[in-house]
Amino acid sequence: MDALVRARGLGRAFGRVRALQQVDLDLRPGEIVGLVGPSGAGKTTLVRTLALLQHPDEGTLELFGRAVRPANLGELRRRIGYMPQSYALYEELSARTNVAFFGRGVSAQRVDRLLAFLGLSERADSAVATMSGGMKQRVSLACALAAEPQLLLLDEPTAGIDPVLRGRFWHEFRRLRDDGASLLVSTHQIDEAVHCDRLLIVRAGRRIADLTPEALLRRAGTTVHVEYADGTSEQRRFEADDAGLLDWLRGLDRDRVRRIDVRNDTLESLIVDLMTTAAEAPDA
Amino acid sequence: MPEGLRDMLRVARRVVRQTLRDPRFLVLSLVVPVLLVLLLKGIFEGVPAFRALRVPIDDYALPAGGFMVFFLAYILSTLVLVRERRDGTLGRMLAVGYSRGAITVGFVLGYGALALVQTALVVGATSWLFGIDLGPRLLPVSLTTFALSMVSIAMGVFVSAAARTEGQVFPTVPLLIVPTLLLCGLVLPLDQLPAYLRVIAHLLPPTYAENVLLGLMHRGHAFADELPSFLALLGFGVALVAAASVSVRTRE
Repeated sequence: MDALVRARGLGRAFGRVRALQQVDLDLRPGEIVGLVGPSGAGKTTLVRTLALLQHPDEGTLELFGRAVRPANLGELRRRIGYMPQSYALYEELSARTNVAFFGRGVSAQRVDRLLAFLGLSERADSAVATMSGGMKQRVSLACALAAEPQLLLLDEPTAGIDPVLRGRFWHEFRRLRDDGASLLVSTHQIDEAVHCDRLLIVRAGRRIADLTPEALLRRAGTTVHVEYADGTSEQRRFEADDAGLLDWLRGLDRDRVRRIDVRNDTLESLIVDLMTTAAEAPDA
Repeated sequence: MPEGLRDMLRVARRVVRQTLRDPRFLVLSLVVPVLLVLLLKGIFEGVPAFRALRVPIDDYALPAGGFMVFFLAYILSTLVLVRERRDGTLGRMLAVGYSRGAITVGFVLGYGALALVQTALVVGATSWLFGIDLGPRLLPVSLTTFALSMVSIAMGVFVSAAARTEGQVFPTVPLLIVPTLLLCGLVLPLDQLPAYLRVIAHLLPPTYAENVLLGLMHRGHAFADELPSFLALLGFGVALVAAASVSVRTRE
């Protein structure tokens, strides 16, 4: 099926700061793409650009197979669910009123179902101002989901919430994907990468990788650190499935070795490596 | 009903609900104009120097009340869009597909509901405090005060659409209020102003409202005589709503 989002060479500068540079992205129906990068990498600028709240200085953007133009902004936006990084809710109003308002006329039953699903039924009529941060985050998600959008752009939806709620959010994201929606989920919490079908890793406004977690894990290697009785040490790195690892270990002089530390790369450590060292895009 | 109209009403309803949930804001915006009128009465009737001026204060009480409404409605509405932009709710409204026209007109309608109550209170309280029998002038006076309030809401929304922070909005308050107070005809008669100041006065919508109110209350004119000024006031209102709507940026 055609991509819901097709971005080519997106760029955006704020004064002298180039927040986005030459970013390409395809988002296909039924996938969760994790937008991963350190703070200031350009994640929010990219999400806001795709949510049609910011215009790119350069590059082309197609949503739902159509080029974005001033004339079709409203129509395209109605098919997008956007969850900003801040709560962006009317604090004086209830959760129910907020969801109904941002749902632009969705049925009362739909609002009730959403609030129930996110565990907010009991507080549905409380003013948002009286809620905890986690609850506000859930109300904010409900607002993004209200109109049953095909494309969900979620800007750090799990920032600042407890691990249990994070788990529930990701469970919900997978359910939405299984129902056919596409999600772009930005995060700087690298452990969340495991939940994604694909990872778009960005740094300093540039895309440095676009690959599946499995493809990244295939690059996982093992680092062995050996300490000797005489106080010296050595470190060796072996690529995945490198038979040399065992031979090397067997070849060590057992009488001299005081301690061996074997560390396998994890998805998280691979991403950190990419974010800190990669210069060019090693796309899968 | 067309979707755009529904969106406008959704925004207006949300604004009214928000206002009702904020009792402090509600009380302040409704009580302050009445208190200001009361202050005016205290000064003109209690200070000998002012009493000696023999200003027909009863004639000026309602036009002055109208000015208070203009002043307050402007300040309250200028903060609206700036606050929404800061909190991210403006972006969210745009993101879910509310058009800038629906947002602007919705704001003006929603705060207009508040202005309606404000107008009723100011006209009612002022006539009662000053013992003014409005008779058939009640409707045109109320209508003009309400129209002025709506125009100032539209002005506020227009200014805040262009501003990014509260800090950029506040300096516009004295910039607008001081020349308006001096030039709208309430303090100095328009025909005594130098020509260039008269031109500026006619660019300020409150001038037209005060012309109607002073015509009715001071010069003993009928509403029909002041209809051109009233229509000019409405024209400003429509133009300001359109300008405000266009100045909301849909993509930054």
